[in-house]
Amino acid sequence: MPDKLRRVSTPTRLTRAISVIAHVDHGKTTLSDRLLEYTGTVAPRDMVEQVLDQLDLERERGITIKAQAVRMLYKADDGQTYQINLIDTPGHVDFSYEVSRALAACDGAILVVDASQGIEAQTLANVHQALDHNLKIVPVVNKIDLPQADPELVREEIEKVIGLPAESVIFASARQGIGTKEILEAVVREVPPPTGDPTAPLRALIFDAKFDAYRGVVTYVRVLEGTLRKGVRAQMMQTGKSFEVDEVGIFRPERTQVDDLSAGEVGYLIANIRNVRDSRVGDTVTDAARPASAPLPGYRHVTPMVFAGLFPTDSDQYQQLKEALEKLQLNDAALVYEPETSAALGFGFRCGFLGLLHMEIVQERLEREFNLTLLGTAPTVEYRVRLRNGEDVPVDNPDHLPSPSEIESISEPIVLATIVVPSAYVGNMMQLSQERRGQYLNTVYEPGDRVVLTYRMPLAEIIHDYYDQLKSRSKGYASLDYELVGFEEANLVKLDVLVGGSPVDALSMIVDRSKAQQQGRRLAEKLKTLIPRQLFEVPIQAAIGGKIVARETVPAMRKDVTAKCYGGDVTRKRKLLEKQKEGKKRLKRVGNVEIPQEAFMAVLSLD
Amino acid sequence: MERIHSLYLHVPFCTWVCKYCDFNAYAVLEGLIPPYVEALSREVELAGAELPIGPLDTVFIGGGTPSLLTSAQLHQVLDRVRGIGLAPGAEITLEANPSNVTSEQVDGWLQAGVNRLSVGVQSLQPDALRFLERLHSGTDAIAALRTARAGGFSNINADLLYGVPGVNLASWLEALDAVLAAGVQHLSAYELTVESKTRLGQEVRTGLVRMPGDDEQLAQYWAAAERLVTSGYEHYEISNWSLPGFACRHNLAAWQYRPYLGCGAGAHSMFRRFDRSTERRWNIKGPQAYIKQASASGHAVAGSETLSPERALGEAAMIGVRLLDGTTAARDFPAQRTQLISAGLLAEQDSGVRLTRRGIELANQVGAAFLG
Repeated sequence: MPDKLRRVSTPTRLTRAISVIAHVDHGKTTLSDRLLEYTGTVAPRDMVEQVLDQLDLERERGITIKAQAVRMLYKADDGQTYQINLIDTPGHVDFSYEVSRALAACDGAILVVDASQGIEAQTLANVHQALDHNLKIVPVVNKIDLPQADPELVREEIEKVIGLPAESVIFASARQGIGTKEILEAVVREVPPPTGDPTAPLRALIFDAKFDAYRGVVTYVRVLEGTLRKGVRAQMMQTGKSFEVDEVGIFRPERTQVDDLSAGEVGYLIANIRNVRDSRVGDTVTDAARPASAPLPGYRHVTPMVFAGLFPTDSDQYQQLKEALEKLQLNDAALVYEPETSAALGFGFRCGFLGLLHMEIVQERLEREFNLTLLGTAPTVEYRVRLRNGEDVPVDNPDHLPSPSEIESISEPIVLATIVVPSAYVGNMMQLSQERRGQYLNTVYEPGDRVVLTYRMPLAEIIHDYYDQLKSRSKGYASLDYELVGFEEANLVKLDVLVGGSPVDALSMIVDRSKAQQQGRRLAEKLKTLIPRQLFEVPIQAAIGGKIVARETVPAMRKDVTAKCYGGDVTRKRKLLEKQKEGKKRLKRVGNVEIPQEAFMAVLSLD
Repeated sequence: MERIHSLYLHVPFCTWVCKYCDFNAYAVLEGLIPPYVEALSREVELAGAELPIGPLDTVFIGGGTPSLLTSAQLHQVLDRVRGIGLAPGAEITLEANPSNVTSEQVDGWLQAGVNRLSVGVQSLQPDALRFLERLHSGTDAIAALRTARAGGFSNINADLLYGVPGVNLASWLEALDAVLAAGVQHLSAYELTVESKTRLGQEVRTGLVRMPGDDEQLAQYWAAAERLVTSGYEHYEISNWSLPGFACRHNLAAWQYRPYLGCGAGAHSMFRRFDRSTERRWNIKGPQAYIKQASASGHAVAGSETLSPERALGEAAMIGVRLLDGTTAARDFPAQRTQLISAGLLAEQDSGVRLTRRGIELANQVGAAFLG
């Protein structure tokens, strides 16, 4: 348990709350590490890379998935000691909601731009979000020590594209510790102190929560008005439920108890909350004894953009999966799910995600943190189907598409896609976007050989491998951001897949009619390479409205026999067979055919 | 533990390690043979004193190339084996390289007590022998079989390889016929298997060598099986055929899940405990380390594993189904049995089951079904 920290009182005027925002990989987490080191928040001997990335997955992949909070004390050149509350945020487009949550709890943001990459799509998206929240931005050009760095050009870009004065830009190298002090000075000088009144009725914004097996829910809050003390009855303004606060504390970066959190401060509360639903991200905490009159604005409700089924490969794990989703949802407000039954895959959940990376991360976290083996079906978008009887129904599962005779029309989600790319690749980007039913809108040339392209495009096209293609056709230079702008009618049909003669609902997809036959052929060809040989021949068929449009056959396994098996070979042979069998557990049995996870994802990359 | 009646002795030396071989074998270490024989003798002697072993029904001296031992060395080792006790009519097999089969050697082996000779013919075609890096010719190999027979061996096995790149079905059968004509009582035909850690494995990986496809290999296998059966040989294990009464009793013990002791570098032992669990142990692999350890202590165990009674049952079934006469080892797996029978891989046989033709081709799928 954390030590109880003696209350170090900081007047509100010396408190700051900031986020670090950047495009993925521009170095914000490394910069956060430096800030922690420089302010002595983390002793050098305890320093590990990516201190704030607490999930194993984050350190392994070198990305930030969850926003993290920490409090630092900084003695500035003016002789005063400031309390800086820092929230590290993810950079990937899928996790922009985490950024938005973090920003709502801040007064300023350090904007990190890579000195060799320059401004990218998420840089712009994050800046827009920060400006929406009225945050003061401290621009930093990072990685100036790299040989390809061109800090001057990037500084000019920041002025021209974002409109921040060039002279406010700080040059830094987080890896080498250059510029750290200048950044801290700019934060205390530029970012305004919180304006909330510590004596007003309590209003604290929940920006994250986590389940602790011993303490129940740990709620991450920023107090905007009033003071949060141990012993008060905390009331959740949306749900109306109230809980006795057992502990309040701050992050240094580990949980550390304090007596209270007053206006402007960031920390956590523990109140013996057992049900994860009782601590909703975006809700406002007030004091039941002296409630605030209105809740804080909260967050823009995040809407899932892609949907997929998650099924336990072993059906006995259904209940465990259910509990795991409940716990994960607490920590990941963007995740939504509801029970789903598939004829092929059994009982599972239809889940909504913000994007493909989010989906991948959720599946991986469920498997790792909850020890499950899951099968994920191919993601789809949510369609809006108008029936002949005038009714509108949302369809997030291709198998649930009503029969063609009942359908009046189908609309699909459309996004506004922003692509930032060096001019040499503009042609490739345009060709790709055209292939993906994109409607060209605009081209803007920016300094530093940077072109910003905008397209209206079906979201379904984006989730089908578009991002990978974008990267590969631009040698990795293009970056992408997109936002949902509405729904548009389209000529779509359902493509069904039969494996071994039986339809596999989880392989159905909704496709553009003009491409349907070709997609069906490609899908069948692809599945043939992905479904391992079985004891018998397995036909794979693609069908549109009951008509078979493609057929492939996975030939039966021909030979699997070890020639020599004498006394000394037995252990090795048994281990080999056991290992193969272990591998088979990752396959899902559909009828009598064993299908690997990759087959369910085949529809994502048919080009 | 159950009493042990089978003993395997490993001799890890070869004049040349063929490129396809992944056995525990080492070339050009002849200088190590004398101390190795000492260490092996020590291990056998101590095992006889410490384990419930003997009288021995079968002894198998394998390798490597055990025919590199001199008569005196062979005598020394087999004398220690006699110390454990030999059952009347015990089967004592020696593996021999055709190059070592001379009438003097044959006399010496018989005098030392060897009564079954297993000759590594592998192939007869010059190209195939070169490809396999065998140092003998086809003529040498046939001569070796004749010399062994003329010298007094009446239980001879020949090892052959099929599915060798460049050898077609007709020339494979030609080699098989020539070997049968030399008068062997037992024949082992193995598919040339590509093991990843061998030089052949590397050549296949880099595309230097292309192996025949599954269909070709199975065609050669079934053609040989047919030829052997029409010639009066019983197909009693996936890769083994014998005239009636000449099945290799030593190997039968392992397939029937009876315990055996293995001595020598890298040798494996299998013990059965009275609670039906199985212990498997293996010795230090490297000859030098083995010599050091076994001469100092008489023991050279490098590792072991114990299988619970349930897992042991599965393992027994996995091995047992290789016996084509049928096995009762799968009786504790009714669900798997039913499933494999309906898939056409097993057929009922007396009170047990046997592999069907398709089951032989997919024997690993059958074996795996019994593992947890």
